Amino acid sequence: MSEKVPQFMPKYMIGTEEQQKWIQKYFFCPRGLGFFEPGAVPMDNPVMSAFNIAKASYQIRPEVFNMDYLSKSLNLKKEEIIKRMKRLYDERLIMYVMTPPMQIIGYGLYYWVVKLKEGTSKEKKQALSEWFQNKDEICTGAEAEGDFDYFNGCHMRVLDNLIYDIFYRLRDLPEVEYVHTVPIRRAIRDLYTNMPDSLNDYRKFFLDDDTIKRLAKMQDKMDLTDLRIFKALNTKRPMEEVYDFKVLHEISGLNPDEMLMGIKAVIENNRMLVPVFHFNTRKMGLKNRLFLIKLFQMTPSYRKAEIADEIATIPEFNVINEFTDSFYDIGAAAYADLTDTDALFEKINSFSEVEDVKVADFTREFRRFTCRLDAENGMWEECILTDDFLSDITRKAMPAINLNINKEEEK
Amino acid sequence: MKIDKPRQYVVDNLKYVLNPSSIAVVGASRYPVKVGYKAVEGLITWGYKGKIYPVNPRADEIQGLKAYKTVKDIPYPVDLVYIAVPAHLVKMVLEDVVEKKAKVVVISTSAFKEIGRGDLQDQLTEFCRKNKLPLVGPNLVGMGSPYLDFDCGFVPYLPVAGPIGMISQSGANLVAAIGSSEAMHLGMSFFVGLGNKADVDFSEFILYGKEDKYTKCLATYIEGLDSPEAFISACRDTVPHKPVVAIKVGGSKIGIKAAFAHTASENEGTDDAHYDKIFEKAGAIRATTWQEFLDIALALGTQPPLKGDNIVMITNGGGSGLLSCDHFERMGMPMKELNQISPMLGFKIRAYMPMFGSPLNPVDISGTANATQYKGAITQAIRDANVDALYVSICPTAMTSIEEITDEIMEVYNTHKHLGKPFVMECQGGNECYDAIRKFRDAGVPAYPTAEQGVNALIALRKYARIKEKFSKQK
Repeated sequence: MSEKVPQFMPKYMIGTEEQQKWIQKYFFCPRGLGFFEPGAVPMDNPVMSAFNIAKASYQIRPEVFNMDYLSKSLNLKKEEIIKRMKRLYDERLIMYVMTPPMQIIGYGLYYWVVKLKEGTSKEKKQALSEWFQNKDEICTGAEAEGDFDYFNGCHMRVLDNLIYDIFYRLRDLPEVEYVHTVPIRRAIRDLYTNMPDSLNDYRKFFLDDDTIKRLAKMQDKMDLTDLRIFKALNTKRPMEEVYDFKVLHEISGLNPDEMLMGIKAVIENNRMLVPVFHFNTRKMGLKNRLFLIKLFQMTPSYRKAEIADEIATIPEFNVINEFTDSFYDIGAAAYADLTDTDALFEKINSFSEVEDVKVADFTREFRRFTCRLDAENGMWEECILTDDFLSDITRKAMPAINLNINKEEEK
Repeated sequence: MKIDKPRQYVVDNLKYVLNPSSIAVVGASRYPVKVGYKAVEGLITWGYKGKIYPVNPRADEIQGLKAYKTVKDIPYPVDLVYIAVPAHLVKMVLEDVVEKKAKVVVISTSAFKEIGRGDLQDQLTEFCRKNKLPLVGPNLVGMGSPYLDFDCGFVPYLPVAGPIGMISQSGANLVAAIGSSEAMHLGMSFFVGLGNKADVDFSEFILYGKEDKYTKCLATYIEGLDSPEAFISACRDTVPHKPVVAIKVGGSKIGIKAAFAHTASENEGTDDAHYDKIFEKAGAIRATTWQEFLDIALALGTQPPLKGDNIVMITNGGGSGLLSCDHFERMGMPMKELNQISPMLGFKIRAYMPMFGSPLNPVDISGTANATQYKGAITQAIRDANVDALYVSICPTAMTSIEEITDEIMEVYNTHKHLGKPFVMECQGGNECYDAIRKFRDAGVPAYPTAEQGVNALIALRKYARIKEKFSKQK
């Protein structure tokens, strides 16, 4: 056998200095154990105090956010901003959430796509939606219409736990056509904000002024000023300008300098946390359109990563994830009525590596970032952080999902 | 945080900790897995009769009750504020509590001095003291009273009603005691966790218990005393009226560190001898083990002090008698023979035993003893003027009807209760014995499953008689 490398083969090879040089460009998180991985800190660590205080008190004290910055950048009085933020919260239109780099703190981040069989009744789908809504082992999820019916996700330490608790139970439902797993390799963008796994522009917020103006006209829940406040709250800036550390100190009694130092390290230096404001898309009548992009399987990994990053240059996408070990390679979402999604579809299809794109609109979001979104059930912002650390769920007997919608069927 | 002596404004307000007309639960949650949910659920489930105001800025309603964003937003008076929010929010809540003019605040939250945030804990304590707002906790499990159907915190059940006021720094041990109460009918009048005891101290709850009509004995589980002088003062005021039992832990080399990590209790430079002196000065009866702590608290809460050393033990099991008399001697209070106590008593009791019985002391009425024989022997002993206390043991044999004997003994006890002589039971054996123990305890008779436990109870009653005499005179 000739030792010569054929010319059509890549120049790097396993075991050579050149192997997978592209990894140096693309950051792939090692799986660590949350508490011990260098740089990883648990949520109740004192360095998280500034975020934790803000998250727990902005509902009644919006001034935890730096009103000097907001007032100046918006040219609005502080009192006006505070009043509006309180109203936006009371009307369940905004929610302060965060996302960490899950792999670094020791989780796999697994999403899955569910397709129901043709002819499944609306009532059955509704029953399944309620099951998802109340299922705490789902940190983010939505009901959809289109090529698939659900897109949900959860962080897990042991994939078997998820398979056993969710996938097996879904598979056993006669109404389910398929469940496809989409593990996330890089969470690039969420809520228009670039996440720790983004190649460029970490923490950059992409919702631009023109879109905001269009959004203000589209609905009557948040006016242009509300939306400008929303944008300002999410705009990337140093931590000093994000929070008012004097107010955080007043609330907690903790040292403001230590809080600032801690949160700067966590967010700016270690890229361990991205806090963002989420808006209630359901109340505002917005439907997120998710494109599940399938590349030809011979597409090299580095090229897949490059395509994801090229898609990430498109500001209209509010969510972008690169998947691994899946039928799908990239997921990207844009609000259907707010953007020209046909044009976005064309852009996606312009990549010659794209084999297929599945499209569906989110009709109801259940949870984001572990927080419940069902204000109609009185559960707005109830945060349920499930964790299968040290657990073996497979040892429990899991009851079947009950979609029986009337007593007759239950018999 | 140290106090020199118990503060009257604190003692006066402690009634709002255990018998509030209204409670605000800050951090009340919509989700069953959270402490703030359990707190509201416990109040509702156990039948709290006052008003409950959940506080949670994210919720409109919690367990069917209207939720308020802050304590200040509650449009009605609030006696007690129970806080179950993270440590970094407590300061803000306390400011609202002061503004609301609530009577007392209980902080369940952990992560203060025990994890190195001593400055923050002290800052909050000073704020409360400046505003004359008694603060119980932080870092505690809860409190309650079976007499008031009141269970506040995350204690899963109420104890059976009884005489013991339980004051504990440890939540786990407090819940364990309450579990024992449920399982073995260890009756309690109230229970309270003190946790880090940043402000309200043992001494102040002891004085509360002194005046509480349901409390007959105070049981204190201590990991560290910041204010020994206040403890001594409160105990000396109390022990002429009600006994105080203390168990002190965290004295071993590792225990010193563990007690700090648990409830920020500082034990450096102290040892067992140091605490022995404190308890002696205070007139508190020290227990060494957890079981002894519960056992003697039960005896002290239900029985009068033992005024002399003339204890008669009546048993149908010679082995049980031997275990007992050896333990009495080991504990420095040897039993006397029956003829030393009362020359004729042996003859009188002889009539209630077979010829192979033993009229010494312990009196062995033999394994064939029936209810009538128990009744006769006990009646003879309890009516003898020289006898100071009765220790009765039931050891089941195939001949023994535990139920019948139990009922007969109860009748004798009730008939002669007015004589003021301590009466302690031992019932060693299987499930039928545990049923009997519960029955005796329900009737106010301390009953135990082993001989040594009963002996410890009698020794504690003797100690208390001496303490009561000494401190009543000093007063």
